[in-house]
Amino acid sequence: MNLGLLATVLLGGLAALDAAPVAQTLFSQPLVTATLLGWVWGEWKVALETGVVLQILAASTLPVGARTPEDYASGGVVGIGVALALASQQPFQMAREASVLIGVLVGLLTAVGGVRLLKWQRRSHESLSRWCEAEIRRGDESALARAHRAAILLAFAVGMAYCAVCLAVGLWAGSGLVAHESLRLSRAWAMARPLWLGLGLAQLLSAFIQRRLSRAAVFGFALIGAWLVLMVGMP
Amino acid sequence: MMERPLRNATLLRMGLRASLLQATWNYERQQGLGWAFALAPAIERLYADPAERRDRLAEHTAYFNTQPTLASLALGAVAGLEERRAAGGGVDHEAVARVKVILGSSLAAIGDRLFWFTLRPFSACLGVLVALGGSWLGAPLMWVCYNLFHIGLRLFGVGWGFRAGPTVLNPQVRRRFNRLVGSLAVAGAALVGVVVAVLLVPGGQPATLVFQALLAAGLSLGLIAAQRARPSPTEWALGTGLLCVIATWFR
Repeated sequence: MNLGLLATVLLGGLAALDAAPVAQTLFSQPLVTATLLGWVWGEWKVALETGVVLQILAASTLPVGARTPEDYASGGVVGIGVALALASQQPFQMAREASVLIGVLVGLLTAVGGVRLLKWQRRSHESLSRWCEAEIRRGDESALARAHRAAILLAFAVGMAYCAVCLAVGLWAGSGLVAHESLRLSRAWAMARPLWLGLGLAQLLSAFIQRRLSRAAVFGFALIGAWLVLMVGMP
Repeated sequence: MMERPLRNATLLRMGLRASLLQATWNYERQQGLGWAFALAPAIERLYADPAERRDRLAEHTAYFNTQPTLASLALGAVAGLEERRAAGGGVDHEAVARVKVILGSSLAAIGDRLFWFTLRPFSACLGVLVALGGSWLGAPLMWVCYNLFHIGLRLFGVGWGFRAGPTVLNPQVRRRFNRLVGSLAVAGAALVGVVVAVLLVPGGQPATLVFQALLAAGLSLGLIAAQRARPSPTEWALGTGLLCVIATWFR
């Protein structure tokens, strides 16, 4: 279990790097981190259940312009890590569902809380940028590479530290709840899961359709067609 | 034909460095520092005089912002301009700055629609559809689907921008990008339909009525929420999640 937690925190640092400072390859998206953590913890079902809900909600969060989006890189890793750590202590299906609910809630809270940290990093880069220009004008061309190294190190360290703190708080708050209130939390999961999936899918649908009737019709036809195929089987 | 000073290896180094375009993003100059860092291999090759090289680098740390993947096209175009400037081809600082501003905003307009509004949600839907079946292949599929465009354009976009110059975003290229966005959006709408159907009939058996009703309620709430910027989808999700917990507590 300790190895799993350690790997989760390390993945938090790597996800924080991919989210904005390095490459932006979607490695930091909840579905990818869920797959990796499911493999590390040896528990695919819990990891994918948490990851799918967080992924659908993350996909509707847009980093456009100067807007600081919710930090789903950390939120995904922490949420899935909390769900996996809590579920690993519970043998019953009901308690595992409760763990997934707590995982998603902690993941969402982590994503919202991460916005302040991201803004703080962006503000701290302002002085880094001024320092860098002054150094270049003074004749030190290596300042550009040094500034980038510093920014990447800062993002990695902040990502890891934030994940470690949120993971610890989430586990501390969640373990008692899952152990004593798993029945209620399991019922809440049965209610919240379809609501979350619907909420996220509607945001994606709205982004695709862009108020065009023809695209809404494509959605309708695909829904009915797939529903018929699943219910009746392929012709 | 005279050989151009900037070679493919330099352009590839710029493409690789473009991955760090956002590393020092800040509210003052946004991607300015990352832009200078990505352009540095070209500047180093073009300007032998250290003082001139420093001036060019310092100039490029000024404000710049665009969609990070398509920034490669602007990098290539500006590298081409710097090449002409270094050769005394009548290009001055103002001309370079103007091209940066124009390309930056045009690429942002197309890139935001292509990557953030279409390709990323489409890849996520594809991954989720596979993951809903319990397969771990959803994540690799999502990653590959997105990065075929993302990494491809980031690495080879510099060469494209370099060869095409400041007119890299000509009407024909715009049309192609717009067609790609349109096709992906239609495919995305169909994909969301299939995901909803899979949720309604998991494994060939219809889901419970409560599940179906709650999914429909979530979709309706989401479509209403999408009309307003605030509260954000995450805040809506937090609110509904907490409401479900409270509802089961007092039931």
